[in-house]
Parts: sequence; structure tokens; C-alpha cells
Amino acid sequence: MDSKQFAEPASVKPPTPVKIVIAGGFGVGKTTTVGAISEIKPLTTEAAMTSTGAAVDGTGGNVPSKTTTTVALDFGCITIDEEVKLYLFGTPGQDRFGFMWHDLVLGALGALVIVDTRRLDDCYPAVDYFEKAGLPFVVGVNVFDGSLKHDLEDVRWALAVSEDVPLITFDARQRLSVRDALLAVLHNTFRRASAAS
Amino acid sequence: MSDDQVPQPRGAEQGISPLRPYLLTAGRAQPVDGTLEIEAQVLTSRLGAASHARLTFERREIVSLCRETKSVAEVAAMLGLHIGVARVLVADLAALGYVVLRRPAGAFTQDLGMIERVIRGLEAIR
Repeated sequence: MDSKQFAEPASVKPPTPVKIVIAGGFGVGKTTTVGAISEIKPLTTEAAMTSTGAAVDGTGGNVPSKTTTTVALDFGCITIDEEVKLYLFGTPGQDRFGFMWHDLVLGALGALVIVDTRRLDDCYPAVDYFEKAGLPFVVGVNVFDGSLKHDLEDVRWALAVSEDVPLITFDARQRLSVRDALLAVLHNTFRRASAAS
Repeated sequence: MSDDQVPQPRGAEQGISPLRPYLLTAGRAQPVDGTLEIEAQVLTSRLGAASHARLTFERREIVSLCRETKSVAEVAAMLGLHIGVARVLVADLAALGYVVLRRPAGAFTQDLGMIERVIRGLEAIR
């Protein structure tokens, strides 16, 4: 009823949205990570994906057989200040969903690739994709039980990520731990942007 | 977009799901603005609020929901729509002036000021 609710564009501006992509294989704790810090209960929506048919046609041809798949996309948000709102998008890690990744990655501040050391190879597609897309990312080993089974440098070696990709441990259930992981993502992006300018 | 001219096997067109959600969008699978980001902010305009009663189901629901700012992703999740459908509907409503959009301003990975701002915001979380 009051004018504030139905404001004209000029009077009240919606916040500027920014986003960080949370990637990783199935069950590594993406939703838990988003939920630990989001100020809204994480929401899930379905996205219809056009995906390339099979890996064998990955020869750069732009008309491979296409199929449409529906995947769940989890997300949450954090109010940064009166004008900026940070969105966290948790995305399935399979490479056949690359088409959605394009949408997610475009304009993102960076990415957190969550790794479960028991299933390291689950995160390869995400690492590959972000490297190719040029999106700064940090690898976060989700330490479920407070102890790391592998030396971090072993994890780096196994993932074959370069020395300049930060590798951290965090606990997806802990709000402050997730905050620190996101800060690591932002500091990494900042460092790269500073170096480039 | 040019694919639209070419007859395609049923279900082969991008974005068609077995649930046929695009019935909601008058058959279109592509938004009028195909680049609408899923984090774009959506706010109902005065015109949208005034036109509420004339809008049909999903459009009306969006105009109601976005009296407080929501992202396209939130619109999809809260109304149980596929992301693609929400994009089409929101882009339509924006083209008609019923909602106002606030879209991300581009290459944030190079925007040191914005990155610092988000860092400060996160650091304030205790």
C-alpha cells in the first residue's frame, strides 16, 4: 500500500548482486556450506540443462547430440551492505552440466571447489572448467571430522593444481569456517586482479 | 535463436522438459533477454503493482512476490518454476515495465573496490 513497497526504479534501487560459485562432486558438502552462512534457508531450484551427449564427441564440434537434463541448483545469500548482496550458488560438479556453469561463472567473483579427500576425482571437472574459464578459484578440503587424512600438498599433487591456486581446509558445518573459506576465495581474486592491473 | 526457425524433433529444443513448463511462457524457451542473470534482482514497479489484477497466474505471482526484492533464482525456487521459465517470465515483465531489474555490473573479478567491499562485509560476520 505505501509507496515504499511499489517504488519506482529511481527511488529505491535493488541491491547489486554479486556471486561466488560453490562447486564440487556429489555429497561433498556444497549445500551444507551454503546453509552454514546463508541468511536465508538454502533454496533449491531446478534448472533445465542442455548438455552435450557424450564425452567422446568432445572434439570441439558445436553440434553434438544434445539432451536436456534437470539438475538441482542450491543457493543462499548474504547481505554485504545496503547496496550489495552476495549470492552463493552450489552447483553439481559433473562436466555434462557445463552449459549451466557458463551462466553461473559469468560475472562471478570466484569459486570455491570443495573436495572430499576420499573421492578426489569428483572435483576434477570443476577444477578443469574454472581453469579454462579463467575464473579464480580456491580448493577447499572439507574436513568433516576435524582431521585431514592426507597432507595438503599430496592433495595438490593429486589434483594437479598449480602452486598459485590456494588450497585450504575448512569445515562446511561451521559458519565462521565457511566465512574464512569465502574470504580466501575473495583474497585470491583480489590478488589476481591486483597483479593484472 | 536461429534454431527457432528449424523444425526439430520433439524435446530436442533447448530447455524443453518432460513437464512442458514452457506452456507457461506461451511456448517460448528463450527469454526476450537471453542474458538475464540468475542472480539479477527483481523488484515490482508501481506499474506492476497497479496492473497486478490483470496479470495471469505466474506473472501475477511474480509481481506479488517481488514487492520485496528477489533474485531470479529466488523467484524460481519460491514459485516452483524451472530457472529457465523464471528467466522468461521475469524478462517479459521487465520489458513491459512491471518489474525493475538490477543486474550485476559486469567484470567483478577485476573490480578491486567491489571485491574489497565484499571482503569487509564477510569480515563483519561473527
